[in-house]
Amino acid sequence: MDETSRLLGQMDETNDEADSHDTQKGKYMTFKSGSEYFGLGIQYVQQIIQYQTVTKIPETEDYIKGLINLRGRIIPVVDVRLRFKQGLCEYNDKTCILVINVKSTTVGLIVEQIAEVAEIQEENILPPPSIGRADKAHHKYVYGIGKVGNTVKLLLDPEKLLYDDDPADGEPAKKNEE
Amino acid sequence: MAEDFNTESMLDMYLFENGQLLEQLQETVLEQKDADCFDEDSINEIFRTMHTIKGSSGIMMFDNITAVSHKLEDIFFYLRESHPDNVPHVELVEHVLEVEDFISSEMEKIRNGDPVDGDASNIIADLDKFLNMIKNGGEAEAAAENVHEEPKHFYIAPVATSASRFYKIFITFFPETEMSNVHAYKAVYALKEIAEDILYSPEDILTDEKSSEKILKDGFRILLQAQCSEEEVREIIGVGYDIEKVEVYECDANQFLLGFDFGDQAPAPQIDLESSVEVIEARQEEAEKGKAEADAKSPEKPKIIPGDFVIQSKEPGKQKKLAKDKPKGEKASFISVNVSKMDQLMDLIGELVISESVVLQSSDLKVPGLNLDNFNKAAAQLASISTDLQNVIMSMRMVPLTNTFQKMNRIVFDVSRKLGKDIEFVMVGETTEVDKNIIEHISDPLMHLVRNAVDHGIETNEERAESGKPDKGKVTLSARTEAGKVWISVEDNGTGLDREKILAKARKQGILDESKPDSAYTDKEVYQFITLPGFSTNEQVTEYSGRGVGMDVVVQNIQAIGGALEIESTPGCGSVMSLKIPLTLAIIDGIVMEVGNSSFVMETGVIKQFIRVKEDMMIHEPNGDEFVMIRGDCFPVIRLGRWYGLEEYQESVEDGVMLILEVEDRKICLLVDKLIGEQEIVVKPIPSYIKKVRGLSGCTQLGDGSIALILDAPGLVE
Repeated sequence: MDETSRLLGQMDETNDEADSHDTQKGKYMTFKSGSEYFGLGIQYVQQIIQYQTVTKIPETEDYIKGLINLRGRIIPVVDVRLRFKQGLCEYNDKTCILVINVKSTTVGLIVEQIAEVAEIQEENILPPPSIGRADKAHHKYVYGIGKVGNTVKLLLDPEKLLYDDDPADGEPAKKNEE
Repeated sequence: MAEDFNTESMLDMYLFENGQLLEQLQETVLEQKDADCFDEDSINEIFRTMHTIKGSSGIMMFDNITAVSHKLEDIFFYLRESHPDNVPHVELVEHVLEVEDFISSEMEKIRNGDPVDGDASNIIADLDKFLNMIKNGGEAEAAAENVHEEPKHFYIAPVATSASRFYKIFITFFPETEMSNVHAYKAVYALKEIAEDILYSPEDILTDEKSSEKILKDGFRILLQAQCSEEEVREIIGVGYDIEKVEVYECDANQFLLGFDFGDQAPAPQIDLESSVEVIEARQEEAEKGKAEADAKSPEKPKIIPGDFVIQSKEPGKQKKLAKDKPKGEKASFISVNVSKMDQLMDLIGELVISESVVLQSSDLKVPGLNLDNFNKAAAQLASISTDLQNVIMSMRMVPLTNTFQKMNRIVFDVSRKLGKDIEFVMVGETTEVDKNIIEHISDPLMHLVRNAVDHGIETNEERAESGKPDKGKVTLSARTEAGKVWISVEDNGTGLDREKILAKARKQGILDESKPDSAYTDKEVYQFITLPGFSTNEQVTEYSGRGVGMDVVVQNIQAIGGALEIESTPGCGSVMSLKIPLTLAIIDGIVMEVGNSSFVMETGVIKQFIRVKEDMMIHEPNGDEFVMIRGDCFPVIRLGRWYGLEEYQESVEDGVMLILEVEDRKICLLVDKLIGEQEIVVKPIPSYIKKVRGLSGCTQLGDGSIALILDAPGLVE
């Protein structure tokens, strides 16, 4: 649980509200990464496939694992753990690729384990708590915390997940040198 | 006649059909542009085309198109009926093309939803003038045939239900009504909504102009079977400003089946159900003969004035017969398919091939002691079918160059006419097939080259006469496939390029290296100057060329699709511009190789040689650069594994393979671990989410479903 508290501690409230999609509103695909459960609006999720061998592409960010062949379409895959800087973990038969479609870009997300589709009402979604350190917005990708029973899911903003530069840790420098 | 006349798709249909008609028209006209006059078939065809366009445009209320096509129809009616002798053919061709252009541009406006506001009055005035001219010129001959034959009615009535009622409807129009056939059709169209069955006479109200006259004279008859009252029928037909009188009679089924017998109303046309087809044909032949005789014997028959023809009856049978007689060539039938569906199909087939190899190489089969004879037989069969399937889908993307070449024909005609040059246009190998995407890219460059050939290449008629050349300039457009590339050449027999002139111009523009003597430049180098921006040796800027934009655009466009332009020229004899373009953008021949755990593909064309090198052939510079000495030549070396920071690649050059790549006269060596083989590669872009990586141009899936990255040789060389 120390991981969780670390994540929670680093959240701030600078998040934008995600676009509302009426039809599938309130449903979230939840998955486990590290010791934490994350949720992603179900409208973004295209399909879930078993982990398959990824072809590496040289000279890209480390969290971009490479390319996979999805029914004849070639799509990039991102390792969510690496994206969250949780450190690499071995892929096993629980590892899945969550194929999401954000603004007509299709990307696969490698996640440790798929959990379930959770229904989270609007009133059960809280803004991420900010505990002082607003400047170190390490987890901008999380726009809210959803309560399901007595567990919480960190709700992800997929656009930021895919595109945002890491704002802290001198990470941008690393990006630029490539 | 289209039974379902959906208003929403009507416009689409109109545009589509007219587009095709116009295309066909242009083809017909250009085919015969060099003849002395149009042959009878073409005259009939053009007449029919114009007639159809007029009719459909009338319905769609595009008045300017209707007016223009009507005028042209008049001219061709006159030609067809009066066979005037001295028709200035080329002028006529121009008029036809002018009309075609006008209609095309109006249709483009319709397509874009712009107002259809083109001004047709100039064209109409021109056409009028032309018509008057040919009429006054060719007064002597005029013949008309009044052999009248009833259209055939073959008709089987659907089974009537007891609730059906039968009506005979008789509509008379005011005698001054224009295009009464269209109005009649409106009534028919309205009635179709309620009709269980409908039959009307005259039949060809939309396609046959003379029906209009018949309707005015005899009235328009409709036989209707429907489940509604007489009042309702009347209401539906309505009484418009154009309808003088509507008579509706109810009748019983037997009377209905008897056909158009309106008692003493008006002389009803005979329904020819008894005569067999042969009889009818014989009758037609007789009529033809009669017509021929009439032509020969009675030149004193009244001359037909255009406009008159609307109230002249003609032989409907004859029109059809001519259409049948005309050899239509081997026109294949086509359907147009959405490209995205094709791509989907291609992806699916790719997937099929992959899952096939997954099945066939399944580890379950590797259990010792299995008898796989039958399995292997079936597998071989499956493999051959899926290979065929792949070939078919690839070939579906291939389109012949015919249409593109046809367009060039038009350009040669237009430009040569305007410049007063006498030019023959020859097409060779226009059925060569090229990927659809490529065709889209070469159309413009080709147009430039053809224009250049006509404008710059071919001399004026006087110049040709002076230099003792045959009168006619000749532009040859040819296409052929060679070594996996398509060569499209534009050849002219004109002056050829003037080396001195180009050099002088290049010097003026400061392109030349002054330290080099002129003779140091090869012809090829000199000719390449003309592809530079702003370079034109034509002193006079004409409407078509000479501004020095063009050749550079040509080269750019061609390079964009991986092609090249080659120029050859013989002074005084003409020049040849050859485009060398890949057959397809989607598929390349590639060598698959492995570095570390990754597969890469390199286009076969750029690889000059594979070579194994010894350690002592390597030259290491202190700054880390490496070179290799091969047969006395020194090449820079790129180790692909190190370059991309891959894992587990061969460190030693002796364990790997060197590829010598050549890109635009620059050679480098590429060290890879091992070669896998050569195969056809379907190029796919790297997803845009991943930013551009130097030296990579795309990716592809290999036979086993894994992904290989396609190396971009020019990128590596830089």
